[in-house]
Amino acid sequence: MSSIEIDAPGESVLLMGNEAIARGALEGGIGFAASYPGTPASEIMDSLAPIAKKIGIYAEWSVNEMVALEAAAGASMGGIRAIASMKQDGVNVVADFLSNIAQIGIGRGGLVLVTGDDPGALSSGREKDMRTIAKWYDIPMLEPANIQEAKDMTKYLFELSEELGLLCMLRGVTRICHGRGNVKLGELPKMERKAYFDDAHDTRDPKPTRYVPFPPALRYAELEKKFKKARELVESSPFNWYEGPDRADLVIITSGGGYLYAKEAVKVLKMEDRVGILKVGTVWPIPEKLVEKHLNKAQKVLAIEEVSPFLEERAMELAGNLPPTAPHPIFYGRRSGHINTWGELNPDAAIQALSRIMGLTYQPRDIEYDKKVEASKSYVPKRPVTLCPGCPHRASLWAMKKALKLDGRNGFVTGDIGCYFTGFNASGFFQIRTGHCMGGGIGVANGLGKLGQFGFNQPVLAACGDSTFFHAAIPGLINGAWNQSNFVFVVLDNSATAMTGFQPHPGSGMNAMGEPTKVVSMEALCRSLGLRVKICDPFDLENATATLLKMINDKDGGVRVVIMRRECELIRARREKPPYKVYIDPDKCIGEACGCNRFCNMAFNCQALTWDKKADRAKIDDVICAGCGLCANICPQGAIIREAA
Amino acid sequence: MNTKVKASNKELFDEVINAGLCTLCGACSGGCPYLVPYKGRIVLLDNCILPEGQCYQYCPRTYTDMDAISRQVFGLPYSGHELGITRGVLMARSTDARVKERAQYGGTVTTLLSLALAEGLIDSAILSRMSDNKTPEAYQARNTEEVLQCAGSNYMACPVLKVLNYIPKHSEDRLAIVTTPCQGLALAKMKNNPPQNRVDMSNVKLVIGLFCTWALSPDEFREFLKENLDLPQVIKFDIPPPPANRFDAYTRSGEVLFPLDQIREFIMPACSHCLDMTSEFSDISVGSVEGLEGWNTVIVRTKVGAELMEIAKAKEKLETDTLLPQNLAHLKEAALLKKKRALGQIIERSGDKRNLLYLGLSESIVNKLLG
Repeated sequence: MSSIEIDAPGESVLLMGNEAIARGALEGGIGFAASYPGTPASEIMDSLAPIAKKIGIYAEWSVNEMVALEAAAGASMGGIRAIASMKQDGVNVVADFLSNIAQIGIGRGGLVLVTGDDPGALSSGREKDMRTIAKWYDIPMLEPANIQEAKDMTKYLFELSEELGLLCMLRGVTRICHGRGNVKLGELPKMERKAYFDDAHDTRDPKPTRYVPFPPALRYAELEKKFKKARELVESSPFNWYEGPDRADLVIITSGGGYLYAKEAVKVLKMEDRVGILKVGTVWPIPEKLVEKHLNKAQKVLAIEEVSPFLEERAMELAGNLPPTAPHPIFYGRRSGHINTWGELNPDAAIQALSRIMGLTYQPRDIEYDKKVEASKSYVPKRPVTLCPGCPHRASLWAMKKALKLDGRNGFVTGDIGCYFTGFNASGFFQIRTGHCMGGGIGVANGLGKLGQFGFNQPVLAACGDSTFFHAAIPGLINGAWNQSNFVFVVLDNSATAMTGFQPHPGSGMNAMGEPTKVVSMEALCRSLGLRVKICDPFDLENATATLLKMINDKDGGVRVVIMRRECELIRARREKPPYKVYIDPDKCIGEACGCNRFCNMAFNCQALTWDKKADRAKIDDVICAGCGLCANICPQGAIIREAA
Repeated sequence: MNTKVKASNKELFDEVINAGLCTLCGACSGGCPYLVPYKGRIVLLDNCILPEGQCYQYCPRTYTDMDAISRQVFGLPYSGHELGITRGVLMARSTDARVKERAQYGGTVTTLLSLALAEGLIDSAILSRMSDNKTPEAYQARNTEEVLQCAGSNYMACPVLKVLNYIPKHSEDRLAIVTTPCQGLALAKMKNNPPQNRVDMSNVKLVIGLFCTWALSPDEFREFLKENLDLPQVIKFDIPPPPANRFDAYTRSGEVLFPLDQIREFIMPACSHCLDMTSEFSDISVGSVEGLEGWNTVIVRTKVGAELMEIAKAKEKLETDTLLPQNLAHLKEAALLKKKRALGQIIERSGDKRNLLYLGLSESIVNKLLG
């Protein structure tokens, strides 16, 4: 039994933050959940989907975040409580719908949007602080500071959402979403749900039952009223509190992950009697009276929060309004340079900031030991991000590199989001030259493919994964067909949304709940646009390279599609043993004397191919090698042998 | 000894490939995973950062000490003679009807290779063969049938040495190889400074060089042929001797004749910098006989070449005869003219009589050739 469905109120269970959010949604009485995979939020749907049928709710992986939120909003309009979850970038994707529904309001069913923010951009292109979008679009937002709150806040948000008639948001950061902690479970409601799109349509007062933005000014006035109510509610929220001395020398204002770091810093520096912590859980709207109360009493305010100086700036705004006779505190945080403007927080960052401001020197460990630690870092090899051994993208990128070189016109690859993007560096032979967001690769290729009138003649290959194809590439594909742009669209189809944990997508033939369903054929879709499509196995390097070359040089131009289809190695490996035993023939490999400059190691770059310095020979690391046999194609001496296992 | 210059693919591209001097001989490719001939170009597939490379060393268009090479092959300094170093010049043709049917002229090359295989002097021959799309491809033939498939002139450059470079170090196969003059020079450079990481050069037992005035660029010329001929119908090509001034294509549905001037625009630019018309660094060189169909001019240069010719005559595989004096005179004239023209081209390009780009020749020989 999955831990999130345990029906034992009061029992304490170890849960991941995302699981706690999922549990909170169940306790909140959801009937509908929609999501698109994205780190750090994927596990919310990963834990709801497998039990959905059993517990009588509907859960889906939508084709992208926009549809996920829209679908959840649809459920809300049908009177069913719904949750949509996504990573921070997904919130950017839904921004259009989000901004509208924030003002239009929701149906009778509460609607909660969960954002998984990624401080330090550990799995994203950029850090993003979604508290700012809550302020921007006037959306009530809560941020949990521990795993218990992740559950309790999610549950509460459904009540708040229905009370206000507004979509509400929950912001998690990586360490909350992926951290684990004990959670005291609440009750799982046993409810009968009857979905109905409200037909009570009073033409004298249409606003509540018509989900349109018009007239915008009146809608906004409604929203302001609701927000006024929200501001009152948050002043008495149990998710905001102050702990510490009544008159503190310094008050730390914090939310989310920053709270525990703040507590640690205060404890380590033994400043419990001088430093107070104002923990804000309702990050939008903030509890202004509570914050003002503590601003009045403090000489110094330090903001410890993930990604941006959100609370820092809100506190400064409030301080600007304090009566002139009141003491104005000095503000510290990202703006003052005491917290790095970039990067994930950790206890050290909090300790350093606090000790610096308070004029303390804090030496965490013996100086000599510290020096040894620093010196020992040189032993750690630099490990860049890389493709897995056996990854079909390695083969695809190798074929693309060769085809572009043979073509000789300095062609290049535009990239997108997915596992293959980790091949932007050496492991993918530096082929991928651009990478922005979902669908960005084919998008920019569209533009480049129309520059012929300005003398542009470099072949453009737009790379895209299978999940990304359905998520975001289709408009770019249609645009290319319609506006007749010239590029080769290379779909790297490894039959998986691999990067985020192998969730199904429209090409999988299976939905989130494990039910078999329609397979959406990407090649049929492309052909329906009148485009030429070729399907290759990237492991057949000769054919893949030749096909790419042929398509690149196709005189009819326009958008041409090459689908490199081969299952992700990790999926294959779960099912079967490695197809080959691969080893180096010690007689054929002549080491440095080959004159190839360790081609297998340096150019091909699979991490299983290493070098035996003593024997001066290439070597295959049996532990890492996936037995895919691809490298057997590349040795000029034919020294890499593959035998059917 | 040839000076070992510390240079690699960067210099190769700067000085030769991007400088219009590449003859597509294939000496730089094959054993090397970075360089590959493709559609008439040499392509660098990956960044090779080796400071010193065999690609540069063996290229016939990087600096070559002609004396050293000549001593390596013949034990004699480079003479500057029109036909190079010769033991004898004669005419020959095959006695085998099957060979004569497929041969371009006398079928001498095919016969000699066939004989060498039959006599167990060699295990395979590396030569070029017309592929289905009518461009030449390098091929390793192991028997008479396969050699016969390669008969006929291609007129387009073919990187035959690539196949030689694929042969691993430990292979005991004894080889013959059919070369154009530039390939013969590269081969001689390889023998002078043998590679330690692949083919054992002492296994190259027989080098048959072809007469060559110029070669056509394989990719561009093929496009021309495709536009003007039904390629699957083509049986063979021929350039008849002057004053014909034609390029002939023999197809199953008849002959298509092109003015030679139309074909000249596809000549590789590198060819105008080449001094060698008769493949001077071979064991035996073979060409046509002007005005006499079905015969080859044969120049015997080494003991190996002479011995093989004796066997061929003794076993009546080849019919031989004296080359007519006017033919010999004409051959020498043509060969000397190629040398003069090429030297002129090189000096015009370098701007200095003492800078012959890739040629290491003494001033006296240069003066003698320029006359």
